Amino acid sequence: MVDVSRVQKELTECNRDSDVSGVSIALHDGGSTITHLTGTIAGPLDTPYQGGIFRIDIRLPGGYPFEPPKMQFITKVWHPNISSQNGAICLDILKDQWSPALTLKTALLSLQALLSTPAPDDPQDAVVAQQYLRDKSTFVNTARYWTEAYAKSDSTGMEEKVQKLVEMGFPEDMVRSALKSVNGDENMALEKLCSG
Amino acid sequence: MPRPLPSASGAAPPFRMPPVFIFRDDPIPDSLRPRQTERKARRRGDEQALGDAAANPISPSLDSRRPGPAMSTKRVLCKFFMHGACLKGDYCEFSHDWSDQSNNVCTFYQKGSCSYGSRCRYDHVKVSRKNPVPPLPSSSTSARNSLVPLPPSSNTATRVASTSLQLLSPGRPLHLGHQTNSSNQRQQVSTDLLPLSGSKPAWKNEVQLVEDGIDWSFNQTEQNQTSIKLADMPICSFAAAGNCPYAEECPHMHGDMCAVCGKMCLHPYRPDERQEHIKLCEKNHKRLEALKRSQEIECSVCLDRVLSKPTAAERKFGLLSECDHPFCISCIRNWRGNSPSSGMDVNSALRACPICRKLSYFVIPSVLWYFSKEEKLEITENYKAKLKSIDCKYFDFGTGTCPFGTSCFYKHAYRDGRLEEVTLRHLDCDDGSTLIAKNIRLSDFLSRLHL
Repeated sequence: MVDVSRVQKELTECNRDSDVSGVSIALHDGGSTITHLTGTIAGPLDTPYQGGIFRIDIRLPGGYPFEPPKMQFITKVWHPNISSQNGAICLDILKDQWSPALTLKTALLSLQALLSTPAPDDPQDAVVAQQYLRDKSTFVNTARYWTEAYAKSDSTGMEEKVQKLVEMGFPEDMVRSALKSVNGDENMALEKLCSG
Repeated sequence: MPRPLPSASGAAPPFRMPPVFIFRDDPIPDSLRPRQTERKARRRGDEQALGDAAANPISPSLDSRRPGPAMSTKRVLCKFFMHGACLKGDYCEFSHDWSDQSNNVCTFYQKGSCSYGSRCRYDHVKVSRKNPVPPLPSSSTSARNSLVPLPPSSNTATRVASTSLQLLSPGRPLHLGHQTNSSNQRQQVSTDLLPLSGSKPAWKNEVQLVEDGIDWSFNQTEQNQTSIKLADMPICSFAAAGNCPYAEECPHMHGDMCAVCGKMCLHPYRPDERQEHIKLCEKNHKRLEALKRSQEIECSVCLDRVLSKPTAAERKFGLLSECDHPFCISCIRNWRGNSPSSGMDVNSALRACPICRKLSYFVIPSVLWYFSKEEKLEITENYKAKLKSIDCKYFDFGTGTCPFGTSCFYKHAYRDGRLEEVTLRHLDCDDGSTLIAKNIRLSDFLSRLHL
């Protein structure tokens, strides 16, 4: 069984200084189960990921904290150690180097550190790793573009998109819920609004 | 009236004989006390019998009534001594020898039901009737131990009872229970009588008892008045417990204050007992301090305070031999016992400290956390010594083989008590290193031969 009291302590501890650390954890989609969480980390400064907010799906196995939590990026990221397809992460502390003294917060902070220091020699996504090694500038540009496109949608670009869709003649509350359900993708939201 | 010995009078608080007080352990059962008129009548009528008893104090009848417990309780560790202050000193019926077992059998359990159930602090074991245990210290000692000064609120009935005692032996002081010792014979009688009053039904030997009681007080007074040593006097048990209602007026000697526990429980004239108490008190105090400091320590895995866990089994630290990071015993054992199939390597990850990743090969359970290297060493040594006294289940008195061999923490002894002796065979290699050879078999050698 998951040690519920420990997870609760971790959540309060993590969210207490989330402004400073840039990482926070919440229940997944406002759900009720404590074993399925969503973490967010701020893209580290002076990297192509700066300014982005990355969301991570966290599932706690039954043996937590004696087994590592299962983590996966929800937000698409261009990074050698993170799959560009499904967000799978290659990080030793989430596998065989896990220790029960680590917490969700320290794991998220490790992910933040991973974003700033890619390890292309032990890649998760071979294509990205190839690009990183052979053509660094293209890699940086792609990563920055992905950050702009996927990691910034919900906060800054949101109002603009709502405005745009409202101008097309959809009611505002429907636009907002549609945008939210497709994770801020403007075209998908339009499609949804037209079909629904 | 007994007076303090001149030699000792300087150091002692002035000692007075109490004007009125009751010995709970006097040889006359409570049931006889109020019936003074009857007794007086009997006394008058039985002058003859009385004279006989005086001439032959250890009568056969008395001897045959000598109860067993007087002997057997001597081998049971005194409860009060265990807690650091037995007011009876050398005269206690129970043993003051640490090597003796304490009687810890639950009486309620013997009778069929103990309402404390598994939480009872006494042992829940059935004692067979053929082999009766000595009476429980709690019942007999508490009844006999206290020379109770009457609390101020005490009613007149008890005072009447005590005056009746004086009537019994007019013009003579009350005998001091088992503390009289000038004559061996008298003491014999007194020790015989003492347990009797506690263990025999009061009605059985009523007449005999009264006679004995009188006889006894008659004789002792002549020989015995001045020989009471101060060391034999008990100290006030109320003061020792922390609060004597009589304060300055108390008829009993008040003990000196123990600097550690702050109680008036040091007997001024029993140096051995004082030392024993102070030693024990300091040990307890040290342990209490360590326990207090340990309260704050949190386990790094469950993030709880280790000593605030819900069940007693969980309120223990698991000390790692190679580093100083605190965990609770259940968390660290859980982590180390994790199945290797989870992808983590036993030797590099699971046996490592979750915080500093230093490898430790064993975990030491301890109720206390340590704050110095010496304390840790002491805890470790105690733990190893305790394991060394337990027979290894793998070795199984020589019939099995223990995978840990000579490094096993448990005892490797044969059924006859002989310890296992192992001579390690060192094999020197060509490169100068040494190997320790285990179980060399001829069959291994033969099977490798290619003929």
